[in-house]
Amino acid sequence: MTDGMNDSQHRTMMSGNEAIARGAIEAGIGFCTSYPGTPATEIATELFDLADKHDIYVEWSTNEKVALEAAAGASWAGIPALCSMKSLGLNVASDFLLNVNLSGTGKGGLVIVVCDDPRGHSSSNEQDSRFYAKAAQIPLLEPSTYQEAKDVTRFAFKLSQQFEVPVMVRSTTRLSHSRGLVGKGMLSKRKKAAGVLPEKLYNVPMPHLRHRDLLEKMERIVREFETSDLNMHTNIKDMELLVISSGICSMYVREALHLIESTKIGHLNIVTTHPLPKKTLTSLLENANRVLFVEETDPFVEDEVRTLSADLEELPAFYGKRTGHIPSYGEMNTDTVRTAIGRIDGTRVDEKQLGQAAGADLLIKRPLTFCAGCTHRNFYWAIRKVKKRVGGKLVVAGDIGCYSLGVFYDEAMNTMQAMGSGIGVACGLSKLERFGFDSKVVAVAGDSTFFHACLPGLVNARHKNANLTFVILDNATTAMTGFQTHPGSRHQAQGFRRVEIEDIVKALQPDSYARGDANDIKGLIDLLHSTISRSGLKVLLLNSICRLDQDTSKQESKNDVFLIDPKICRGEKCRICFADFGCPAISWDSANEQPVILDSMCVRCGACIDVCPHDAIKGEKLQ
Amino acid sequence: MREPFNILVAGVGGQGNLVCGRVLADAAIRQGLQPVVGDTFGASRRGGSVLTHLRIGTRDWAPLIPKGEVDILLGLEPLEAFRAAAEYAGGRTIAITSLTKVPTADIDSGEIEYPALERISAALSKLCRQIYMLDTDAALSRIGSPRVLNSFMLGSMSSLPQSPLSRANIRKSLQALLGSDTANLTAFDEGVNAIQAN
Repeated sequence: MTDGMNDSQHRTMMSGNEAIARGAIEAGIGFCTSYPGTPATEIATELFDLADKHDIYVEWSTNEKVALEAAAGASWAGIPALCSMKSLGLNVASDFLLNVNLSGTGKGGLVIVVCDDPRGHSSSNEQDSRFYAKAAQIPLLEPSTYQEAKDVTRFAFKLSQQFEVPVMVRSTTRLSHSRGLVGKGMLSKRKKAAGVLPEKLYNVPMPHLRHRDLLEKMERIVREFETSDLNMHTNIKDMELLVISSGICSMYVREALHLIESTKIGHLNIVTTHPLPKKTLTSLLENANRVLFVEETDPFVEDEVRTLSADLEELPAFYGKRTGHIPSYGEMNTDTVRTAIGRIDGTRVDEKQLGQAAGADLLIKRPLTFCAGCTHRNFYWAIRKVKKRVGGKLVVAGDIGCYSLGVFYDEAMNTMQAMGSGIGVACGLSKLERFGFDSKVVAVAGDSTFFHACLPGLVNARHKNANLTFVILDNATTAMTGFQTHPGSRHQAQGFRRVEIEDIVKALQPDSYARGDANDIKGLIDLLHSTISRSGLKVLLLNSICRLDQDTSKQESKNDVFLIDPKICRGEKCRICFADFGCPAISWDSANEQPVILDSMCVRCGACIDVCPHDAIKGEKLQ
Repeated sequence: MREPFNILVAGVGGQGNLVCGRVLADAAIRQGLQPVVGDTFGASRRGGSVLTHLRIGTRDWAPLIPKGEVDILLGLEPLEAFRAAAEYAGGRTIAITSLTKVPTADIDSGEIEYPALERISAALSKLCRQIYMLDTDAALSRIGSPRVLNSFMLGSMSSLPQSPLSRANIRKSLQALLGSDTANLTAFDEGVNAIQAN
């Protein structure tokens, strides 16, 4: 084990995201832009930490489109630039992507890293962003290990610099958020100096010829991919099955093959998944009778390989998502691969029954919830109260952030799709009166989301005289992803200027505007009720607190301890504080059939005092 | 040691799953082994169930343990230990779990109460080869800090005969990652004794 010891200790534990950041540093980047989003956030966070040491300009841009545009500017001027984002971020940036692919990226090099979230652990969909690489006709690379994540990112810059095209590196949650050992490489010696911009950074008047030129670049790139040693495959004699996989799925395949102990199953880990190296693939397919595809999330490689196999004299049997051997949705894992191979082989795999046998009824849910003292809970509590007051005729169109949890809070938030879509949807709903729509319309967004994508919707609402209430839950940070700064944050980096939400809102001259305190439940209910009762465009900016944010949560509490008076509390007959309000710091004492405040979890916000209809909850000052 | 050796850490967001994974990975490196740590952290700070998959071997293994292949299940919370066992435990799984409950806050199903610990314990024994249920509440109140539960549990795990990582290495890694915070080291040492007393 001596060699192993030396080896382990000379490498560094890195998450897939940290390895991508390291690859970018080794490639000599000078510029990084991003907008936070799970599971991509840590790429830019890591580069922020190393920015001074490696002379890199790093920013959290207002949104992903701005981020990509800024990064392209740097690349055009000759500075290698990385732009990282989560899957849904690429939807926002795609308009620019499908133009800059034609314009070219100049000498600097532009690499876009997109992290998809199969199963949607922290996302509202599980989209497969690889289709953007196909739509934009740009190269796409999918690393399968931590080491590859670093090496592939470095290679992506080389490729972008050589062909002057944006290159996309795609990761998924389990690679981004798991950690393994990575051997570091040497840093690039390339000098970081800006030069003049290339000519004709636009596609008109003949975008079709730009398209022709891009396709020609892709022809040259695919020739590089044909000989790339990134695409590793095992050489197997009398191969009975070939498994083709990409990304983290290749790790599952390697492990499944280890567990199956078959010597007749070959494996190709394909890293260059667009454009696919046709010759490499077809020569492998000629020796395979059966082929299984394993990938996240959609049958991207599977369909491409089926297409490029059309010229083969003898087609192998293909298995994958199209044949139902691999599920067409959700995450992959080793068990899925084993089961699929077992089905193809006709061998039985012992599928473990998931705890149904013993005590499945014990598995009570532990849903995500607002933290103790989170003011978003107060807001939705107020919404629920006001909704009752107006006979249920109130619709809340929502947005993306911690406050999205409102959909699980007695469905206090009714709709939730994309960044900024609450105000947009509300614009539409507010125009349905003529068709008999008679609910009050409320749109909700957080502060970072406000800057990201709400401005066009809000301008539309003003311009169209929309009859709606727009509520901004302002905790002055990007709380969901770990407190990244945005234009409205309290503290700004040197040289940056704070942009006040209030100034922007007032400039649009809503029919009514007010600031409220989300920590004052009684005041909040009255403010919401009186506001929605008015007509026209109303905007409420609510001062909110994230209890996880060290910066804002240290407010002085008037009281040291909060208690429920058992003599006043109605216990089982009421349950409002425990079951309806649902603060994690309020638990149920089954022995006494009463709620109890868990002192270790209570943040002393006092919100529950206003929630109790019997005045049983009291704050006390300790002597 | 089995290749790979699989440790699954189960807990609730905020309990210190991530730290456990990091400490154990660091200890594995000290022993010349190659760790892979798979975390879920979307939910890690908002009260959801959190799992950390640790694979220890001589090459990269996938970041998720295949079902039934867990060697040690380290439970920071009893219900979460059971939830993890229901999905991942198998014939050779040794479970070691804290009895410190983190109540659920589910306003949609306010009627469902936290199950009795005896029932969790009985169900867990059916799924695992051997189980250790540790009275962590008493130990933590002795130490005087609820925040060191994960260090306590790491100490307990380190004294299992099946642990491929030595107690000395885990302790060193804990110290390297968390600094010489005495509460954590005290908790670790108390944890070591807890198994022996169990």
